[in-house]
Amino acid sequence: MIGRQLSRWTMAWFASALAFLVASLCAAVAGAGGPGHWSGGAALAVVHLFALGWLCQMMLGSLIQFTPVLCARPVAVPGLALPALLLTGGGTAMLAAGFLSLDGWAPGQGLLALAPVVLAVAFAMTGAMLAPTLVGTRGLGGAEGRMVALALVALGGLWATGAAMGWALGGYDLLPVALFEALPLHILLGAGGFLTLAAFGVSYKLFAMFLLAPEGNGALRQAVFGTASLALGLTLGLTGLALAGRGSIPLSLLAAFADAAAVALYLAEIRRLWRSRHRPKTEVNMRWSCAALGFLGLSAALLPPAILWGGRWAEAAAFAALAGWLSTLTLAQMVKIVSFLTWIQVFAPRIGRCPVPLVSDLVDARATGRWLGLWVAGAAGGTLALAAAQASGFQLAALAMLAAALGLVREAWAIRRLRHLDPARRPGRLPPLVLPAPPQGPDHDHTRSARA
Amino acid sequence: MTTPDPLELDVRPQLQRGEEPFAAIMSATERLQPGQALRLVAPFRPAPLFAVMANRGFAVSDRRRPDGAWEVQFAPLEGAAPDAGLAPGSAPGAALWPDPSMTLDLAGLAPPEPMVRILEALAALPAGEVLFALLDREPMFLFPELTTRGHEWAGNFAPDGASYRLLVRSGGPDRGVDHG
Repeated sequence: MIGRQLSRWTMAWFASALAFLVASLCAAVAGAGGPGHWSGGAALAVVHLFALGWLCQMMLGSLIQFTPVLCARPVAVPGLALPALLLTGGGTAMLAAGFLSLDGWAPGQGLLALAPVVLAVAFAMTGAMLAPTLVGTRGLGGAEGRMVALALVALGGLWATGAAMGWALGGYDLLPVALFEALPLHILLGAGGFLTLAAFGVSYKLFAMFLLAPEGNGALRQAVFGTASLALGLTLGLTGLALAGRGSIPLSLLAAFADAAAVALYLAEIRRLWRSRHRPKTEVNMRWSCAALGFLGLSAALLPPAILWGGRWAEAAAFAALAGWLSTLTLAQMVKIVSFLTWIQVFAPRIGRCPVPLVSDLVDARATGRWLGLWVAGAAGGTLALAAAQASGFQLAALAMLAAALGLVREAWAIRRLRHLDPARRPGRLPPLVLPAPPQGPDHDHTRSARA
Repeated sequence: MTTPDPLELDVRPQLQRGEEPFAAIMSATERLQPGQALRLVAPFRPAPLFAVMANRGFAVSDRRRPDGAWEVQFAPLEGAAPDAGLAPGSAPGAALWPDPSMTLDLAGLAPPEPMVRILEALAALPAGEVLFALLDREPMFLFPELTTRGHEWAGNFAPDGASYRLLVRSGGPDRGVDHG
């Protein structure tokens, strides 16, 4: 329906992603993975529960919700949102089980080969929903839509490298892939490619909205897009070489520098946006997004040494990007987005009919700030522990992140249930916590095609 | 090119339950494929709807069925698509609307405040009167609410892209239907 912009399954995408976040942190606290130990089955399972289950699901759910807002057009085939969600969640669980089979867990055998197929269908479904909206006149014409389209190209590369390695580990040598060469590119295409570029695109719109700053497609945004396209092009070229069993360190360094330059330009653009804002006092989501931007700068600075020397440099760079930059941004904005969508769902129909609260009344900003602070401390501690090869320090950091994640899950629950609102101002009937509201009589009853 | 079969909407059960079918009709209208007609079945001849649908670019034909119900077919008129540059969902006839009787400058307000101001203003605006609002960005979450409440709208960005212009023609003061 034209004009109906609330994606029905957004809360379900978020809930599924948060479940994977909590699961991955529990496993990290229990000691699966740690400094210098990322190649075992359990460690790879944890990494994928976090990167794919938490971050990619959160990003895909957000893109299905926000691409129509970025491009002012509804997504194509909105009915694919639920199957794509189920297949992404199922594919992630299968992948994690497949990795555990490398440690000898029998039930996971064969799943390492099957999971990429399931994920391919899930990603293709999401692409089918988003691509027609993005290539429309107002999609690729805007800085936001172009960036999201670039991110989806990176998602294709992320899947291809992941699938090639998964099949190689599972015993199917379909390509002469050199795992050692493909792994850094896989991480780069995921953390630096898909997730970071999509975050760039969505943040252009959301930051401008939350800061009351003018939007636009100025020279800086075009420079970010040009540099990011160059970096992605180089990374995809390297991927082609790696899948053919070859690698090139000088070209990798060039890609790393292009990535770092794109990040520097993006940070300059956000600084411009921040300074042109009309809202003097920023909200908790934007204040903690600044910490995320700090981690983005740190991970970009760590990229060249990570490519050159690998080891603890690479671990710290990847962790700063995944836990520091992407997760802090996602958690901070999630609180805002959940409160905004809940407000729209509950109170938009009541405007003009009875007094409605402010969106900010739905959130406990102080508690949210405390949990986000704890998350950032954990992410910083984890980055340091990886750089210093301190296994117990890393577990402690994971524990802090787990506590912060649970605190923010509780806050999201409280927002959905309007717990911070005076009971007298709460409507009697609330929408379901996670699942979409059942179809309303006036909207959906009694329509059928007269084809019969 | 083949024309898709009409989408049939029977509002009799809803009316029997005492519910207001307008939102369902508008929702069905927006689900139509290009060229597809809407076939409405109602216990009476829904004459007030004819003008609304004509404004949205539909030709009307109706007949009384042997069982006493009215069957009304709304077929889309060729070339009635909204002007280029108007947001999808904009009313095609907006150029012919009367001059706005109310103007709201909502620049510099954080979402969803512009939506609150517009809907509160519309709650008191007589049917047929037009409201003009100037915003910083396209109010994507407002559009479905306008449609559900029976208001028509048309919007586009100013040529410099820095502000958004929205016209809303009131469908009448609020009927107070709570569908939350």
